[in-house]
Amino acid sequence: MSGLLLFLVSMVSLGAIYAMLCVALNLESGVGGLWDLGIVSFFGIGAYAYVIVTAPPAASYQAYIFGFEAPVWAGMAAAMIAAALFALLIGALTLRLKREYFLITTLAFAEVIRQIFVNEAWLTNGVAGIYGLRPPLREAVDPSAYGFLLLALLVAGLAIVFLVTRHMVISPFGRSLKAVRENEALAITAGIAPRRHNLKAYVVAGTISGLAGVFYVWYNTIVTPGQYSSDVTFFVWTAVIIGGLGSLRGALVGGFIFVLLHDILRFVPVSGEAAATVASLRTAVIGLALILILRWRPNGLFPERATVFGGAAPAGAKAMVSHNA
Amino acid sequence: MLDVSSCKLSFGGVKAVDDVSLRVEPGSITGLIGTNGAGKTTLFNVISGFLKADAGSIRFMDRDITARDPSEIAKLGILRTFQTPVGFPRMTVMENMLVFSRHDRDRRSSPFSPARVPAETLEAASAILADFGLYQKRDVWAEDLSAPDLKMLEFARAMMAGPVLLMLDEPAAGVNPALIESLASRIRALRDQGVSFLLVDHNLKFVCNVCDRIFAMADGRIIAEGTPDEVIADQKVLELYIGKSAKTDLQ
Ligand SMILES: Nc1ncnc2c1ncn2[C@@H]1O[C@H](COP(=O)(O)OP(=O)(O)OP(=O)(O)O)[C@@H](O)[C@H]1O
Ligand SMILES: [Mg+2]
Repeated sequence: MSGLLLFLVSMVSLGAIYAMLCVALNLESGVGGLWDLGIVSFFGIGAYAYVIVTAPPAASYQAYIFGFEAPVWAGMAAAMIAAALFALLIGALTLRLKREYFLITTLAFAEVIRQIFVNEAWLTNGVAGIYGLRPPLREAVDPSAYGFLLLALLVAGLAIVFLVTRHMVISPFGRSLKAVRENEALAITAGIAPRRHNLKAYVVAGTISGLAGVFYVWYNTIVTPGQYSSDVTFFVWTAVIIGGLGSLRGALVGGFIFVLLHDILRFVPVSGEAAATVASLRTAVIGLALILILRWRPNGLFPERATVFGGAAPAGAKAMVSHNA
Repeated sequence: MLDVSSCKLSFGGVKAVDDVSLRVEPGSITGLIGTNGAGKTTLFNVISGFLKADAGSIRFMDRDITARDPSEIAKLGILRTFQTPVGFPRMTVMENMLVFSRHDRDRRSSPFSPARVPAETLEAASAILADFGLYQKRDVWAEDLSAPDLKMLEFARAMMAGPVLLMLDEPAAGVNPALIESLASRIRALRDQGVSFLLVDHNLKFVCNVCDRIFAMADGRIIAEGTPDEVIADQKVLELYIGKSAKTDLQ
């Protein structure tokens, strides 16, 4: 198998993971109006919960005390439950705050959680992280073909996440979420309790991010605190804005576009010394893309569209209109 | 139906609502008039739970609703409108309607309830929209509507919600004078279907025409109460609207 193909498979896999995070963020921040700068918290919590539940017991040079070697499905369940519980806790504390304070507090919580990954070595093995994690069905296929199998798993996971989220967005739940985003006082007069409703969206987004964390562990086969810095949050926000805040298709495509932009410089053939310089240009490429998008397509590549309902015209609709005109 | 007794609310030194008691009888259209800054909107905010009264109590259909959560008060059947109708700007006219539908109200709490909107709900919404001349614009974002259309959408939403008590803050403001009479007849028609009204407006002709009873407010207090004829003949109300000097000139 050629190197280019391997690279493509790896990039699309990473894109699927980012797209999952984008879909989650879009639910709470695009459809809902939450300025959440802590989406990485639940990504990290999901990843660590999965590892703690499924990893083998620590070797002599490792510090973590748990490692239950439980099956994959148990790890996935643990990841989603842990992420949901933390989202419930953090959301209950922060959603009563005004937007700006919510933003800064979620950012702060994300940093606190990363520090816990770094410092609580008994749980997380500290900065060294935990290596050599076996992704599911590793033995099922030839090692050289595993990349394809993993890609299939990630795409299937993304498809499920997308369909579930899409359902939520177009259901009365999502419509109410949008109503709170658009006009909170008016939404209240419709009987919506904004804080409780937003909390539900926050927990759903957290749960999806937790699941994305599991996929990220499969992809990397290692978990370290450095993978869960707030860079991820800003990357996901950038991807969602490029795709189109509030747009489901935008979120889906945004994740892939982001990864493409981020990794496109790897194609530039350069010498060893120049490689570091080129790598540091990545952020600049992303920044440039963001500026161009905001300048020429401020609502993203796939802007949020009006939801259209079918249904027969009521009797007399035409007459009324001509009368008014 | 609605019983406000001795409600008070101050903003710092300003007594915006000062010992107000007021009743809305079932099936009545009750008006609330008063000059700018009299405290009418603040009283609306207190009744609908958006602001908590410093003192006093509010009962609605034999329930104490003082200091209840505004969304809970809304669920009991009190729908209040806002002085400036903006709706949900980036939602379509139809979505604006659906948010107020019984269908959404019963299903919005779970993210897993069915997404499909039943045909009856869409038809009911379409019929109301057609009635207000908005049917052709059902798929347009509310932010793209003209100001008069937004005003019509506000009434359409209120009809969709099917409230027990409808509290309208300046319904006639910004409405084409030629259409005010049709607005009044719509209000009466709804009253005949059993909806009670509490409405604030500066257009005295409209208020006197449509209301069964009127309360007049000045500086946070109720200064007069009665039938429209009684209230506009009241000394204090005359002074308020015409001014003391003008009135002595007239005599
Ligand atoms: N949120 C607030 N903070 C401070 N003062 C307020 C607030 N809301 C209203 N007020 C003051 O309370 C008084 C009553 O205001 P309110 O808006 O209730 O009057 P209104 O009768 O509705 O007037 P209008 O006819 O102009 O709508 C005014 O003096 C106003 O300045
Ligand atoms: Mg007012």
